[in-house]
Amino acid sequence: MIKRVVIVGGGSAGWLTAGLIATEHRSAEPGGLQVTVLESPDVASIGVGEGTWPTMRDTLRRIGVSETDFVRECDASFKQGSKFVGWVTGATGDHYYHPFMLPQGYTETNLVAQWQARHAERRFAEVVSHQPHLCEQHKAPKQIATPEFAAVANYAYHLDAGKFGRFLQHHCTGRLGVRHVQDHVTGIHSSDDGDIASLATREHGNVEGDLFIDCTGFLSLLLGKHYGVPFVSRKDVLFNDSALALQVPYADDNSPIASHTISTAQAAGWIWDIGLPTRRGVGYVYSSAHTTDAAAESALRAYVLQGAGPAAALALEPRKLSFNPGYRAKFWHRNCVAVGMSAGFIEPLEASALALIEMAAAMISDEMPATRAAMDIAARRFNDAFEYRWGRVIEFLKLHYVLSGRSDAYWVDIREPATVPQRLRELLALWRHQPPSRHDFYRVEEIFPSASYQYVLYGMGFQPEPRAHPRRVDDAALAERFFGESAALAGKLLAGLPSNRELLQQIAKHRMQRI
Amino acid sequence: MAKHVLLNNVEHADLRVVTTRSADLGDDVMYAITFPWEFRNLQAHYPILFRKRPDTGEFQPIALFGFEERENLFLSGSGWDAAYVPLTIERQPFLIGMQAAGVDAATGPQAVIHVDLDSPRMSRTSGEAVFLDHGGVSAYLERITSVLHTIHRGLEATPAFIESLLECDLLESFVLDVQLQDGSEHRLAGFYTLNEERLRELDGAALGRLNSRGYLQPIYMVIASLSHFRDLIDRRNRRLGG
Repeated sequence: MIKRVVIVGGGSAGWLTAGLIATEHRSAEPGGLQVTVLESPDVASIGVGEGTWPTMRDTLRRIGVSETDFVRECDASFKQGSKFVGWVTGATGDHYYHPFMLPQGYTETNLVAQWQARHAERRFAEVVSHQPHLCEQHKAPKQIATPEFAAVANYAYHLDAGKFGRFLQHHCTGRLGVRHVQDHVTGIHSSDDGDIASLATREHGNVEGDLFIDCTGFLSLLLGKHYGVPFVSRKDVLFNDSALALQVPYADDNSPIASHTISTAQAAGWIWDIGLPTRRGVGYVYSSAHTTDAAAESALRAYVLQGAGPAAALALEPRKLSFNPGYRAKFWHRNCVAVGMSAGFIEPLEASALALIEMAAAMISDEMPATRAAMDIAARRFNDAFEYRWGRVIEFLKLHYVLSGRSDAYWVDIREPATVPQRLRELLALWRHQPPSRHDFYRVEEIFPSASYQYVLYGMGFQPEPRAHPRRVDDAALAERFFGESAALAGKLLAGLPSNRELLQQIAKHRMQRI
Repeated sequence: MAKHVLLNNVEHADLRVVTTRSADLGDDVMYAITFPWEFRNLQAHYPILFRKRPDTGEFQPIALFGFEERENLFLSGSGWDAAYVPLTIERQPFLIGMQAAGVDAATGPQAVIHVDLDSPRMSRTSGEAVFLDHGGVSAYLERITSVLHTIHRGLEATPAFIESLLECDLLESFVLDVQLQDGSEHRLAGFYTLNEERLRELDGAALGRLNSRGYLQPIYMVIASLSHFRDLIDRRNRRLGG
């Protein structure tokens, strides 16, 4: 029987996984599943993944934390999507949104055809959704009187990953019955069949378990180092392998806090800009084959200065990260499954890192095998699901690049047809005459909905061509009605919502209610 | 625009306040804020509900007078049509102001009486005198002073009461769909009420805690008050009927 789960490594991956499993399997009650987090006391967790998806609201609610506590203690702010600046041509005014909300009336009619026929001079997302208008005005997605985790406009978070890990740790050990062992792993003991039997530690002897979850980050101690599961590099598709990160203070206490991630295209990659309540997280992620660290650093500093960042920001030293984009050939091997960077890592263009952790942890928890015999079946299902998901993430990120008209060598190279996965090439061919739809993404839990592909496709200026005949769903009047609804909603919410900063200031003083 | 100033018997010596009730005088309000110690008086006339303060999200109890903004079904041509007028209505145009401590900082801010000079109730010729001829306090102002103190203490006690309701999971959001005689439909949303089923399921220990804090009586007053929705709908229908 499976009674003991050992998670190696803390950080967001380890503690989110521990929290979801311990909640579902009643670790705080006698007879519940035993969950241990074995964390090395001096391994600094890497502060990546500062943006989340809206799924994080469900995850946090599921493990029973208060949103007020989360926002206060993790230096969190609200995020309503992403804004891509300069990706099409780099000219002034070149930007588009990928908001979290579906277009108004998305499943009812063909909005794309009507947008193209009558409103092509306006940006697609701004015609079909009210959310980009809220973002442009730095509005919060809710009011202080909106209950915890409930939304007026769909939202996720920006957060301080280091604080998030500690916040989850406190909740897991204090409320969910998770055992926390702070020690170094000095060896791995195998049983005769090749499973991991226990982990040797410096001061706590052998820590035994039935299932071991590898959350050791790039180290991939169990899956990669111990089992030698190969790493599949996808650098052939997504070139970025380096990042320089800076923390930038706000100009003053009233500077707006963006309620979306801003991703600005650069000569050899792009710069992220994430607004937390107390500072901005800014970083340049780039291809080391197309630029030098020094050139990347000066581009990053130029970006900070241009954004009216205080001169003090320039005294800060950027932190360098190097990574190989890709994932393991499999994620669950024998009685060991990897979650987080030990499973794979890709540039944070659509903030997929934490979302993939949530999905992996939820699937392990939901399908927790009862016996060792059942584990091999669970492992096959898990590997199938995540191989599919990583494939979709990589294709979706690639979609952001292939339609660019920028002329830098990096941009020319990255849209080279040979670097585009075949599945994406086929979809692009289909989309010449029909918008992305649920038929293109047919799994129950798809990682990105078809609407996300529409936002990127038409945001990047993709021009579909008409079919020979109209279809039943091409209802111009209905589409116009939805465009009108979306505009009316934008007006109403712009008047009623506080700014992102105002809401965060209110939350610092007053608790949001649970109801 | 409200213009709040500290009340004093020099500048406001000949101030009079119109105390009749009408829409012109600002009584066309959909609800009034209240506090647990007033529930007993309110429940004979008004539904008692809860709403969230838009600026803080905190719950506060209210007495309901109508189904939409600025509708007060208790206002008639001849004044307020109920034997008890909620204190936060009666206090108008006076309010409690907090005055920063003077030389002796240890005393903290002091509660003082402010008056809204822009209130339509202000008069020199009619209504109740605030001060007597030689600067003394009128019986009317004495009454107002006592009303303001009761409100002040009541509002101070409200957060602990709300906290107990939340602890016991007794508050729930509440939507009332009203169909009137003329066929029109109204939805009353954004308010909260008490969940009677959960109240019935509370164990002895929980009930004992609520009772020892004096909260059990106001809780039952809220539940009793909900029967006045029928009365409120009737008042609305009578208005429609002419």
